[in-house]
Amino acid sequence: MIALGKIIAVHSYKGGTGKTLLSLNLAATFVKYGKKVCLFDLDFRAPSLATLLKIEKTDYWLNDYLNGICEIDKVLIDLSERIHDEGKLFVGLANPTTEAIRDMSSKDRKWEMRALGRLLALKNSLVKEKGFDYLIFDTSPGLQYSSINAIVAADLVIVATTFDRSDVNGTKRMLRELYDLFEKKTEIVLNKVLYDFSPKFGKEELKAKMEDEYQVPILGIIPCFCEVLKSEGKTIFAQNRPEHPFTKILDEMAHKIDDEV
Amino acid sequence: MAKRDALGKKPLQVLEKIRENLEKLNEKMEIMIELQKHGKKEAQPLPEAPLDVMTLLSMPDHLRKTAMTVCRLGRATAEDVAEQTHRARAVESAYLNQLVIMGHLKKERVGRKAYFYVDREGQG
Repeated sequence: MIALGKIIAVHSYKGGTGKTLLSLNLAATFVKYGKKVCLFDLDFRAPSLATLLKIEKTDYWLNDYLNGICEIDKVLIDLSERIHDEGKLFVGLANPTTEAIRDMSSKDRKWEMRALGRLLALKNSLVKEKGFDYLIFDTSPGLQYSSINAIVAADLVIVATTFDRSDVNGTKRMLRELYDLFEKKTEIVLNKVLYDFSPKFGKEELKAKMEDEYQVPILGIIPCFCEVLKSEGKTIFAQNRPEHPFTKILDEMAHKIDDEV
Repeated sequence: MAKRDALGKKPLQVLEKIRENLEKLNEKMEIMIELQKHGKKEAQPLPEAPLDVMTLLSMPDHLRKTAMTVCRLGRATAEDVAEQTHRARAVESAYLNQLVIMGHLKKERVGRKAYFYVDREGQG
């Protein structure tokens, strides 16, 4: 067990790799095991967490914290009652209005530098002072300022990737030219895996093959589950379907992360 | 013994003072070298260059490591940085001063210690 909590950034090269689904369900899994977790939506260009969690209004958004308008405790929304588990779940949401998205897209370098300082400060204000076990940053794909800020502030980067060739190549490039340069501990989650396409590989063989390809550890392999897609993000799948294989894979991933840190 | 009395200090303290002065001299030389490299006169004010992530990405590896450590620590001496990077204190001191000259870090002396930090609020 860890003495001090960790910041995890969930990132990807391309969009649609399942970052938000992974972030939300990983957060819920940690909560199931009694952890105090805060999930942040750092995808300011396409915020989705507010919609997924059906939260329409809040006094302060994560945008306000990064703009220096408020402190982080004003942004956090306690969802622990919804989860009914041992731990605690908080969220910090990105403002989904068009005006806010436009505002966040037009920030200059100095603003981004201050935003990085504010993200780095979360380690003190939430992890050290408020005892959070995990802060999970759900980021926007590719080389966006907000995503790189999140990566720099994180202790662990989880990269969600699919078997799409351009995604594989882009992920490999990011491993070399982004995560390595910042000396970040990085692990890969292979998502939406269609086992039918690679019948000659079992799970372990596939893991070894992909670790060889990416040269970083594979944290988990998630097959393409129709039930997960059908749920359309309306529920926290890992919470509502505790016996489903998807939930079991998330359990394994959460334990691996917890053991590593 | 006679020398010790004449100076009125213990030899160790004298050596410590010499080391301190040599460090200051070293820092000044590094600044002069950097200013020469950039073709600037000493009188010119230092440029302000925000230490954002894109700047960090474009830095040489050895400076990025130092800059990232200061970002994480908030405010640090060369010794604090060296502790994190596992490089020699003198090496970190040189890199930190280089980052100051490049306008990415600010430096403040408090007594005998020099603190380095990112001036996030002051810029812009």
